[in-house]
Amino acid sequence: GWATPRPQGPLADSISTCKVLVVGAGGIGCELLKNLVLTGFKNIEVIDLDTIDVSNLNRQFLFQKKHVGKSKAQVAKESALQFCPSANITAYHDSIMNPEYNVEFFRKFMLVMNALDNRAARNHVNRMCLAADIPLIESGTAGYLGQVTVIKKGMTECYECQPKPAQKTFPGCTIRNTPSEPIHCIVWAKYLFNQLFGEEDADQEVSPDTADPEAAWNPEETAARATASDKDGDIKRVSTKEWARSTGYDSVKLFNKLFKDDIMYLLTMDKLWKKRKAPTPLDWHQLENSGMLSASPGLKDQQVLDVWGYCQLFQHSVETLRSQLQEKGEGAELVWDKDDPPAMDFVTAAANLRMHIFSMNMKSRFDVKSMAGNIIPAIATTNAVIAGLIVLEGLKILSGELESCRTIFLNKCPNLRKKLLVPCVLDPPSANCYVCASKPEVTVKLNVHKTMVLTLQDKIVKERFGMVAPDVQIEDGKGTILISSEEGETEGNNNKFLSDFGIRNGSRLQADDFLQDYTLLINVLHVEDLERDVEFEVVGEAPDKAPPPQTNQEEVNSITNGNKDSAQPSTSSKAVRRDLVLCQKLSSQADRCAQQISPE
Amino acid sequence: MASTKASKEQKYDRQLRLWGDHGQETLENAHVCLINATATGTEILKNLVLPGIGAFTIVDGHTVTGEDVGNNFFLSKDSIGKNRAQAATELLQELNSDVSGNFVEEGPDKLLDNDSEFFHRFTIVIGVQLPESTCLRLGSVLCSASVPFLVCKTYGLIGYMRLVVQEHTVIESHPDNALEDLRLDQPYAEFQNHIKSYDLDSMEKKDHSHTPWIIIVAKYLEKWLSEHNGQPPKNYKEKEAFRQLIREGIRKNENGVPEDEENFEEAIKNVNTALNPTKIPSAVEDIFNSEQCKNITAQSPSFWVMLRAVKEFVHNEGNGSLPVRGTIPDMIADSQKFINLQNVYREKAMQDAAAVSKHVESLLQSVGKVWPESIPEKDIKLFCKNASFLRVVRCRSLAEEYSVDTVNKDEITSCMDSPDSEMVFYLMLRAVDRFYQQHSRYPGVYNYQVEEDISKLKVCVNSLLQEYINICFLFIHLFCIFGRYICSNLSLRFILGSAAQEAIKIISHQFVPFNNTFLYNAMSQTSATLSL
Repeated sequence: GWATPRPQGPLADSISTCKVLVVGAGGIGCELLKNLVLTGFKNIEVIDLDTIDVSNLNRQFLFQKKHVGKSKAQVAKESALQFCPSANITAYHDSIMNPEYNVEFFRKFMLVMNALDNRAARNHVNRMCLAADIPLIESGTAGYLGQVTVIKKGMTECYECQPKPAQKTFPGCTIRNTPSEPIHCIVWAKYLFNQLFGEEDADQEVSPDTADPEAAWNPEETAARATASDKDGDIKRVSTKEWARSTGYDSVKLFNKLFKDDIMYLLTMDKLWKKRKAPTPLDWHQLENSGMLSASPGLKDQQVLDVWGYCQLFQHSVETLRSQLQEKGEGAELVWDKDDPPAMDFVTAAANLRMHIFSMNMKSRFDVKSMAGNIIPAIATTNAVIAGLIVLEGLKILSGELESCRTIFLNKCPNLRKKLLVPCVLDPPSANCYVCASKPEVTVKLNVHKTMVLTLQDKIVKERFGMVAPDVQIEDGKGTILISSEEGETEGNNNKFLSDFGIRNGSRLQADDFLQDYTLLINVLHVEDLERDVEFEVVGEAPDKAPPPQTNQEEVNSITNGNKDSAQPSTSSKAVRRDLVLCQKLSSQADRCAQQISPE
Repeated sequence: MASTKASKEQKYDRQLRLWGDHGQETLENAHVCLINATATGTEILKNLVLPGIGAFTIVDGHTVTGEDVGNNFFLSKDSIGKNRAQAATELLQELNSDVSGNFVEEGPDKLLDNDSEFFHRFTIVIGVQLPESTCLRLGSVLCSASVPFLVCKTYGLIGYMRLVVQEHTVIESHPDNALEDLRLDQPYAEFQNHIKSYDLDSMEKKDHSHTPWIIIVAKYLEKWLSEHNGQPPKNYKEKEAFRQLIREGIRKNENGVPEDEENFEEAIKNVNTALNPTKIPSAVEDIFNSEQCKNITAQSPSFWVMLRAVKEFVHNEGNGSLPVRGTIPDMIADSQKFINLQNVYREKAMQDAAAVSKHVESLLQSVGKVWPESIPEKDIKLFCKNASFLRVVRCRSLAEEYSVDTVNKDEITSCMDSPDSEMVFYLMLRAVDRFYQQHSRYPGVYNYQVEEDISKLKVCVNSLLQEYINICFLFIHLFCIFGRYICSNLSLRFILGSAAQEAIKIISHQFVPFNNTFLYNAMSQTSATLSL
């Protein structure tokens, strides 16, 4: 036979004795676990909060049909042990962001390997590894593209050194009043699902927003408007869910409220339609009698139905979801899942009807699913290659050869220089990184009279700057505590404005995350005039912008892995799907690197 | 227990987004043969079983050893002593119940002796760690049967893949930055009429700002042409002037301030791509001129029949252009206007495809194939839609690569100019093959053999180089590298799992496979494709 001996000598010893952490047991995680045990790693801990879904089975080979619904970490451990009984694997069915996994926990390991699918967790593990000073191997795949890199405190860029395009969120008014792209309608439909069948969330309102600054209506017109839709007056007083329940989830009533009455109501906000094409309400009975022929029965994923086809799909899915809800009993809630057919049908139908109303081209169920579920294509081969590269980088780290580690990009086809894999030298840490610099600092533009403490906490400190449990104090000489991570200490501040605490232009706030061992100084730059729906802006970073055009599309310029890539998965868009695993290596940069490097 | 269509759709959802239903269908009809269930072999097969190939057959005469179990995830302790094909089939089969797993407990040489047609039945044959003689023999058998052959090897830290396929046709090459096919430079009659139906000046404001940018560019191009002797804007300066012309068309409010008309902005932004002249890509011209296209016979595969039909179309109805693709990009426009415009393109594409279809029919008739022997309409449509992106990959045979007379000396010598080239490893692998042939074992497997084997291998390298090229420094270089690598340890079979990706490209006839040799060096993490 052909001998493929394992590493020998001191490297072999450290492989068999060292403890490593694998964060994520999905596409890359499964491959990685296999590679690690085959390479001779003995002490492996793996953590994943997810459970197994049917759509994982085309690549996550440690799972089988009978495992659907079970913990990924646990099943991955059991399957890997079947193959390699001598390994010592610990599985956690949990979130790595849980406070139990503190700096001490991370210090147990020689090496941490990320096999994650979302930016929030990547940010967090990056910080934990910086705090514990443990080398981290970061990775990601999207379709045929993949990327691996190494992060080591003080030596390399950290995950957050390069600014990444902001996760795109959609302003409430756009979703509720003036959708202009299919994604707006899809987000609306997902909100609607939660409002009707799931957990209600005040941030996910679906009915017309009367406070839209652009509509700037005259209060005297209120009366006229109210009569335009008399039912609407009632709905305002009860929640959407209560109202729906009171109708017994009557699909026709729901339809006419959502797609006729609400739209007619929007039409009365005529300022909105001066420059836009006005929406056209739909009426169930009219459509029913119009003699439109529905598309062939049996929904084919890739075809676009006509309006009546989506009406029927709406009706059918509402009925299915209603009975699902009934089966679950009083007070039950459904959770939206892109891989749950009736939930997906509902969103497809509702989103398409709204697209039609707002003069957009309707989309197939397949496409709606891509956008609604933030789906990134995924296949076994790319994950296998990337997981192989992770182990090779890991071995270099264990051999003490950190300087020979590389960022490696996997291309779809050999590039112009006939390279399928492009290695790039690791960049040194960025001096103004707001995470790994010695005294991280950042400047935020906002309006102190309009920004509430809760917004500062949720949207800025948590979502934008990735803290999990922040404490924020004002550097006003008194150390006033604005936000405390202890429950119940500062909730009273939530709905007050920053200016109520004397915060003004030039004020400095100190934000701390004890778990991440991370302190960030926030300089406040007060501005009166931010754009419509923009709550704040980080100075030095462009606001939401499309990624720059690729000069050479053969190179990977941004890679991601996963589909839950945002704190608010519901507000995902194309921009979100392009989350970067790492610093955004622009194509030209990867090109340049490739030229510089010659094999050692 | 086979899955239903719906449950398959769910299971394969994430990959359908890459190669579509029809790509999946070809995968599900494929029968893949793996020779040698080594760690690399099973890794490759795993990556084909998971996405759901129809069937696989493992050909392997070896018995499972303890060493196999140690490095192969798909062999377990209790399989020691069993036939390796059988043991691996059992575990790989578990990965996907929709795949049918078969095995043959015999080595490839024996099979070739007894029944050389055995291998004709497969969609693709993947051979792992095969000796040179077997590769050559199998290569010629598969070549005559037009079965693609993927040769894979791992050695120390070097990975090697070689694709052997006489002719591989690709309809959907999925190019990254394909230009749109808009025909603005030569609008067809229906498009011209559609453009005429718009009168930008007399439109209501809302309609004006919801007119698709393609119409806007077409309108202003008409105007430009009439003012410039029918010459379109060509250089930067002219294009800038053309953009200005469009910009002036933006409506102004009562104070003379231009309105916010995003569709006009879009038109200005797209001037460059929109003015790209419609022409036949040179790669497509090349295959138009190939023998297979010129000589259509009753045996011609449908790709060539359709290609010839498209060529006929170009010379007749197409007036020198390929069939219209029929798709337009997303743009700012109201639904109705967008759909109307889309229909103009779509209908023209259908017309063109119908014309191509007629050519297909008469071509088939001319070679004596009559109804019901035909090519499905949907295939012709797909072909026409991808007419600009058609590719044909032709790989040299192993016999050509290995023979002293036909070896690609140019490629080898040109690579040797750079001492870091992966070509060194290719030559080294070939030398190792030679060593195996002479000594029936691989060099340096045990430490005590290393010294002795280095000199033996040196002889092999020397003889190989004398056949090809005679470069002294290279020989020394190789010698040094050799001593260092032969004992090196970690297998890079994980990375060679990507051979599965190439197999999927071949099976699905989508995306362009490499041509013809891929080398990966795990020490420097560099890779190269060589044409040998």
